[in-house]
Amino acid sequence: MVHARPSEHLTRLETQADYVAFRAQAQARWKDLWEGSRTVVSVGVGSSSIAKGALDVLDTCRAELGNAAVVREVSGNGAFWMEPWIEIRRPGEPPVVYGPLQAADVTAVFNGERDDLAVGVRNSEPLRNIPSLNEHPFFRDQLQIISRNAGVIEPDSIEDAIARGAYDGYFKVLFEMSAEEAIAEVTAANVRGRGGGGFPAGIKWESGRKARVTPKFVVCNSHEGEPNVYKDRHLHECDPHRILEGILIACVVCGAERGYNYIGGEYPLAIRRFRKAVADAERIGLIGKNILGTGHDIAFRIRTGGGAYICGEASAMMFSVMGVRGQPRTKPPRSVEEGLWKRPTIANNTETLANIPDIIVNGGEWYAGLGTEGSKGTKLMTVQGPLARHGVVEVEMGMTLRKLFDDIYGGMAEGRTFKGVQTGGVSAGPLKDEHLDIPVDFDSLGDVGGMLGSGGWVIFDESVNVVDFARYLTAFNRYESCSKCVPCRLGNPALVEILDRIRFGRGSMDDLTLIQRTSKHIIELSLCGLGQVAPVPLIGMIEHFPEDFEHAVKYGTMTAPPLPLAAD
Amino acid sequence: MAHAESAHAVLPVPAPFTGRQDVDPEVVRELLSHFTFDDYEEAQELILSALQEVNEHFGWVSPEAAQIVAEHLNTTVNRVFGLLTFYADFRTEPRGHHHMLICHGMACYVMGSQALVQEMQGGFGIDDGETTADEQVSIQVVNGCLGVCDLAPVVKLDDEYFGPVTAEELTSLLNRAIGGQRAMREKGVSNGPRPTK
Repeated sequence: MVHARPSEHLTRLETQADYVAFRAQAQARWKDLWEGSRTVVSVGVGSSSIAKGALDVLDTCRAELGNAAVVREVSGNGAFWMEPWIEIRRPGEPPVVYGPLQAADVTAVFNGERDDLAVGVRNSEPLRNIPSLNEHPFFRDQLQIISRNAGVIEPDSIEDAIARGAYDGYFKVLFEMSAEEAIAEVTAANVRGRGGGGFPAGIKWESGRKARVTPKFVVCNSHEGEPNVYKDRHLHECDPHRILEGILIACVVCGAERGYNYIGGEYPLAIRRFRKAVADAERIGLIGKNILGTGHDIAFRIRTGGGAYICGEASAMMFSVMGVRGQPRTKPPRSVEEGLWKRPTIANNTETLANIPDIIVNGGEWYAGLGTEGSKGTKLMTVQGPLARHGVVEVEMGMTLRKLFDDIYGGMAEGRTFKGVQTGGVSAGPLKDEHLDIPVDFDSLGDVGGMLGSGGWVIFDESVNVVDFARYLTAFNRYESCSKCVPCRLGNPALVEILDRIRFGRGSMDDLTLIQRTSKHIIELSLCGLGQVAPVPLIGMIEHFPEDFEHAVKYGTMTAPPLPLAAD
Repeated sequence: MAHAESAHAVLPVPAPFTGRQDVDPEVVRELLSHFTFDDYEEAQELILSALQEVNEHFGWVSPEAAQIVAEHLNTTVNRVFGLLTFYADFRTEPRGHHHMLICHGMACYVMGSQALVQEMQGGFGIDDGETTADEQVSIQVVNGCLGVCDLAPVVKLDDEYFGPVTAEELTSLLNRAIGGQRAMREKGVSNGPRPTK
């Protein structure tokens, strides 16, 4: 893993006044960039756009436009359907976003010859018949709070981030606010855990603060191993400083002396950008000894995972940080009492921590005004499958799935018909068309067997056989079981075997009863969250698509017997 | 077919494999030299990162490298192997000249990645994590997600992404990578039975 170097021109800030001066300087630089006389070309580079050639576009921009314009490497903005994109701000005009384009188009676009590639203009008024980007259906219904810097700032530049308000909340808890007040704001905001559990962060922080054992730690859980979620990676790529600020605020408020971020090892770009953010923040003295002269000492460590889904579970994650196999343990003691290295540990999801800076700056009441009764704020969502558009979006809690799918994501791709949507990653059941009008928040989908979870939705159409799909989901849980406790270790393979029997046409109706019984064992007897929900997708599939399973029992779904192999 | 320049310095991935990498103990020691620690606890926290560094550099972690990591970080080789076998990212066998990832995340599944996995197993006779008989291509099935879901189903060969990929395209991609030879490996001959995980 490449160790990031901080930017050379940054120097350590010793006092509050130093920081205020630095912030003013960053803001002036930002203002000059957008109001000055130079043309600014920004290229959206994220792991999704790199796959489509964004680095070629960036190289071409640097080589051909480097003299005529300021070329910036910003992050992706969540809109995969317009990647690779570039944004050109000509003096006196608002920035115009063009995409999708390839390296060969760059010069023509820059010269203003390819306005047909324009997606929108970053302005409320249209420009030369180019509509406003915020009027595009993909952006119109979004409420971008934690992702508002996506595609706007250079993630590698701490000055860009500070000019856009990063570390304002951190500054507030360091100088203007007591820890009790900060926790009161977080509690008033009622921000709930975004990783899937939905546990209120304020309560967790309160008990973390009250814990008497020292040292204490704060761990940010950025490991998302679910096979359809990449919101945390997106957040790391576009605004690493926001996450870092959330962790640092938690450290100050809870009195922790060390912050951790545990990132999935399969996200090289996210890790690289986050390392750079930490290196820069250390360089200017926002991390380290005697931060800005306040006497606070906070150390920071980045740890990377090794590709085990179970490490998203808090206790397993802490074992992984400690360099052992990530296998969950029984609770209590909870991690705020006895976590990392047997010390009180406050573990939060990335997205939860990313919400904290805005709550501190704008107040808990502001945040509590967003969303629904029980679920406040916004949620990052990823919807995949045969849709017209793809990407990561941030919407206010309480939006209906139909609005999300049909308006923001543009409905089904041409020639595809909606059959169902798998919810909650691999931890909940599917939903059908009639459920799409339920407003989505943490609590609403439970009655129909769905779940918000971490905000990953996978739409499937008639080309997907639900029995095979259920087998895929069960096989995923079989593969990712940590093998610690017996019901999960043996139960999931048993479910896969039963399903394979049905798929091969050797099943009977008794097998469906057997599935229910085995599932009940796994759900009731497993130790951790993975085991307790492992059979839920399968049961949901049977409940919502019983005729498909009955058909499979009679005729099977495959022509050749399943291969006795590990992969699939 | 989108494509990203492999020489670009943005991603901390090693240079494309030019051949099977034997693990040079000196290089491993050099890689580990910046893993410094103050106490036992920090050393423990570094084991996974150190193994990742070795795994990324060589494509696999040899028993010898595992021993060096264990010695450097004051732990036992048993413990290191416990980690290597638990975490899916690590390989304990050398990689081929090329490395292919087949995304089998849920989005790719609903768009048909099952056919790619079946093609890999049935057509080329290799399973997840194995290498073609001529040692040219190692294939790994990604259970997580490559995060390029609009190209689903996605295949990543070395540093290049391809998608949407059909089974026929996967065959031609693999055939191109292994130099036109269709390398068939008889199942069970070289690898023996494998436990189902």
